[in-house]
Parts: sequence; C-alpha cells; structure tokens
Amino acid sequence: MRLSVRQRFWRGVWVALKRRPSRILGVIIMALFVFMAIAGPWFYPDRLPYNVDNMYAPISWDHPLSTDFEGVDVLALVITGTRGVLLVAVAAGLVTMLVGTAAGLYAGYRRGAADSVLMRIADFALTIPGFPLLIVLTTAMNFGAWWKMALVLGLIGWGGLARAVRSQTLSLRERGFIEAARGLGLPTRHIVTKELLPNVAPFIATNLLMAVTGYIYAQVGLYFLGVLPLDTSNWGVMLNAAVFQSGALISPDALPYLLAPLGAILLLTLGVVLIVDALEEIFNPRLREG
Amino acid sequence: MRGFLRRLAGHLTRGLVMIWVVVTFTFFLIRLMPGDPVQVQYEKLIAQGMSPDQAASATAVTYGFVPHGPVWKQYLEYLSGLIRLDLGVSVDSQGVAVADRVFGAMPWTVLLVLSGILVSFLVGVVLGVVAALKRSTAVGHSLSIAGSLLHGVPPFVIAIVLAAVFTRRYRWFPSGGQYNGDEVAPGFYYDFIGDVAYHAFLPAAAFAIASYGGWLLAMRSSVASVLGDDFLLAAELRGLTRMTRFRYLARNAILPLFTVLAISFGLVFGGSIFIERIFNYPGLGMLLFASIGARDFSMMSGAFLMITAAVIVANILADLLYTFIDPRVRRQA
Repeated sequence: MRLSVRQRFWRGVWVALKRRPSRILGVIIMALFVFMAIAGPWFYPDRLPYNVDNMYAPISWDHPLSTDFEGVDVLALVITGTRGVLLVAVAAGLVTMLVGTAAGLYAGYRRGAADSVLMRIADFALTIPGFPLLIVLTTAMNFGAWWKMALVLGLIGWGGLARAVRSQTLSLRERGFIEAARGLGLPTRHIVTKELLPNVAPFIATNLLMAVTGYIYAQVGLYFLGVLPLDTSNWGVMLNAAVFQSGALISPDALPYLLAPLGAILLLTLGVVLIVDALEEIFNPRLREG
Repeated sequence: MRGFLRRLAGHLTRGLVMIWVVVTFTFFLIRLMPGDPVQVQYEKLIAQGMSPDQAASATAVTYGFVPHGPVWKQYLEYLSGLIRLDLGVSVDSQGVAVADRVFGAMPWTVLLVLSGILVSFLVGVVLGVVAALKRSTAVGHSLSIAGSLLHGVPPFVIAIVLAAVFTRRYRWFPSGGQYNGDEVAPGFYYDFIGDVAYHAFLPAAAFAIASYGGWLLAMRSSVASVLGDDFLLAAELRGLTRMTRFRYLARNAILPLFTVLAISFGLVFGGSIFIERIFNYPGLGMLLFASIGARDFSMMSGAFLMITAAVIVANILADLLYTFIDPRVRRQA
C-alpha cells in the first residue's frame, strides 16, 4: 500500500508517541491547557464569586484547591487565568516565527551584505537581556492591550530562531536538490517556499513551541513581580499575591493558593518537554534509539 | 597573538556599539515617556520656588541632561556624562549618585551569577556525560527528562520553592540581605566571608538548579554526536585505556558548550531580577526592580545599562575563553 506524504507523517507521529507512553501524556496535558484556555472562561461568570468569610477554606468538593484571601475558588482562578496569557503567548510566538524565519531564510539564502547586517541585528537581539528590557519597557508602554504585549514579546525573542534558520539554510543551499532547482532556473520564490521552507519547518515548529512557553513564563513573571497592573486574573497575579502580599509562604492554610499556580506551571512545562521529545524524534528519525 | 588582539578589538568595537545603542534607547525612552518625567521634575522644582535656571541645572544633575533646548544637544550632554561614568543622580533619594548605587550593587549580582553558573556548569556537564553514555537505560532517560523539566521551568518557580521551604518553613537560611551587618563588618576575614556565603547560598543555588538542566542537555547531545566519530573507534582499536578515550571524548564534546555559555549570561542576568527579589538580595536586579516601582528613571536606566554592559562583557570573555580552548579557532584567529 502506498501512503501519501501526509499519511506517512501521521503514521510517524503515532509511532513516535507509541514508543514512549510518556509522550502521549504530554499530548494530553497540552490538550488540557488548550481546552482550559478556550473553554475555561465559559464555565465561570465574568466576576468570580467571592466570600470574605471563607478565605483559605479547607480542601473540599466545592473548593478542590482551596480558596484565596478573598474566598475565591483557586481552581477557578487557575482555569480562567489561562486564556489571556496563552493568547498573548501564541500571538507573540507567531510574530517571532514570522520575523525569525523570514530573516533567517533571507540571510542564509542571499548571504552577502544583507546577511551580515541581519545577523548583527540578530546577535544584538540575542545579547540584550530580554527580561530586564521588558520590565523597563513596562514603564513607558501600556501593556494592558494584549496585542502590544504580544508584539513586544515577539520582537524581543526572534534572534535565536533567525540564527538557527540561517545556519540550516546555509547548509541546505549547498545540497544537491537546491542546486538542481537553481540549475533548472526555478524562481527564487519557488526555491525558498517549496524547497527550503519544508526542510526548515520541523525546526521552526519545535522552536515555536518553546517560544510560546517562554512567553507564557515571561508574562507570568511580569505579573508576579507586580510591574503590570494586577487587575486581571492569571497565574502571575496569583503568585504575586501569594508570595508578596498574603503571606502564603508562612501560613500553612494558604499553601494550596501558592502551590496551584506553581503546579500549573510545572504541569505545562512537563507537557511541553514531553511533546518536544516526541517532535524531535518525529522530525529526526536518526535520533531513534535502537 | 596578533590574531587574538584583532579579535579582541573587534569584540570591543561591537560591544561599544551595542552599549551605545542601549544608551540611546534609554535616553529616548525616558525622553518620550508619557507624562515626561524630566519636565515634571523641572516644573515641580519651579513650583517649589526655584528660578528656571536653578531648576534646569538641578534636573540636569538628575538625568544628565537639561530638559530644554534641542533634543540632540540633550543627547550629547547625556553621552558626555556617561563617558565620565556619570549616570546622574537618583530621583527618588535625592543626592545619591546612580553610579555609586549601581557599582555598589554590581559585585553582589556577579557573585551570585558566577557561582551559580560555575556550579551548574560542572554538575550539568558531569550528569550530561552520564546521560549520554547510559542513554538507552532508565537512568539516562530519567536524567534527561529531569534535566529538560528543570531547564524548562522558569527560574522564579525554583526560587519561590527554595525560599518557601528553606527560609520560611525551616529557617535554615536568612530571608534576605547580603550579610548580617549587626554581627560582622565588611572585611577580608573568615567570619565575614562565611556570612556572605551563608546569605548567598540559596540565591546561588536557585541560579544553579535553574540552569544545570540546560548544560546537561547540551552536553548529552554533544557527547552523543562525538561518540559516533571515527577517532574514538580508532582509539579503541589502538588499545588505548578507557580513561584516555574518555579524555579524548570529553575534550571534544565540551567545546560547543562554551558557545552556549556566552548566550546563557543574558538569561541568567535577566533571572537575577526574580531571584534577588524573592530572596531579598540587594543586587543589580533588585535595584532595577525597586527603581521601576519608585519611578526612579535615572536609577532605572543606570541599572539597566549596567546589566546590559555586564552581559556584553561576559559574552566577550566567554568567546575569548573559547578561542583559548579550541586550537582550531585559535589558529584561525
């Protein structure tokens, strides 16, 4: 039976997942977070019910992860806090992907002066410590608008991807099939989009996943430090309140309130790590261990 | 040697250009900030009864440029101040020179970052070799997963957990500060150094735990790729001992890690904001954070500039170290 390219790809995915059940767990975790981001807020009212008499309630069916310092359900906070952060992170990841891939492909394929200029800029973006820059920018920019935040995050983080795509492109362009395409007189647009891009794509996909996670943590970090207005609800705001304001580090009753956002971050990281592990094998079968 | 000097000169030029770009950025950031803090301070001083001339010179002392006149003139004044290492005066605490605070905070952050990176590098490299050699066993696999997980978790999570357990739940370590000023006076003697180490231990450990996973993963893949090389097979066929072969392997596998080292400095210095904040450790990151909270913009740009400069210098050092270690690059250079 002959399989199409697409079928062969999905079969590869399935084989890689089956080889280690932990990877399936990764997919489940990831699906859970995506579901929480999309559907989570539908299950709860816009303003979560609070009850000041019921702060740091013991764990029960009503409050499986206890309540916070105002008696708001912690599980509800974790779930509804996913969407905003994830939306910005995905948008920022797309910005990084577009800029990084375009710069890397152009620099690697054209070489010459454009290459050295672009790579100087990329090195610059890589060297500037991103997080300090981000918190300095919070003083001048209003990050309340989600797309501004996404744009800034995305533009800070493109350097690494551009460098990596460029080095891949440099090695690919000397390979036989690209030389053949050039020899046939195919237009550059065709060579770049149909011959080069598919070969760099796996790399970009892995990188995108890592970038999105990094941007989630950058936002959580900004809220955690308290340099952004704390009027929304997300994991960073929760951590800020737990660590710096409500003394959850000391009082054992408040422990679930501290552990819930930390647990969410750990779980998300675990999901990403397991999926990246699977992606590496899917895209690079040579890594397969005997 | 001439090649080395030329390389150094190239690095220094690039570094200076980068610092210049950052300086220009902070200048225009403050200048174009909504609410114009420079103008606000100038007007506040006039409202307090100063003459316009006095107010202008007082503002110039704070920010390093006069709030009036053409922007390019202000910019040049700011630059010439920086060349004399004059970073202006704090807005929040009047009369405190930004440069004093920044250079005072700097060594503490460097202490944390360097000890953290050193420990994590050693641990990560050793575990990375183990993970690569045993990569088809459960040990190797779990080492890699643990490494990726700790590499992936943001450093502040690790710092929060360490702070919660070891400074609050069990009060084994101090909950803040660089040293206990009531008990020891700064100086080069055993008690003081011990107290500094005691205070720096947890924050440095947070740095180390947050970054050893990266070294582990890098070393694992590097060892795995060197393992397939012919020279190792040849060494085995020549009957060289295990130890000798291991030395061949390690020397070749560790090289690529030095390029990663250069990139990691930026991340680690960025992480210092969280770690110093969580452990109440007054270093550069804490200074930057506090100045943002207080809207102390001259202090903010000074601290940001110093963090960037530190990262650039660390990058240059890492690259020179690489040149020194790798004979191929050394000869090319």
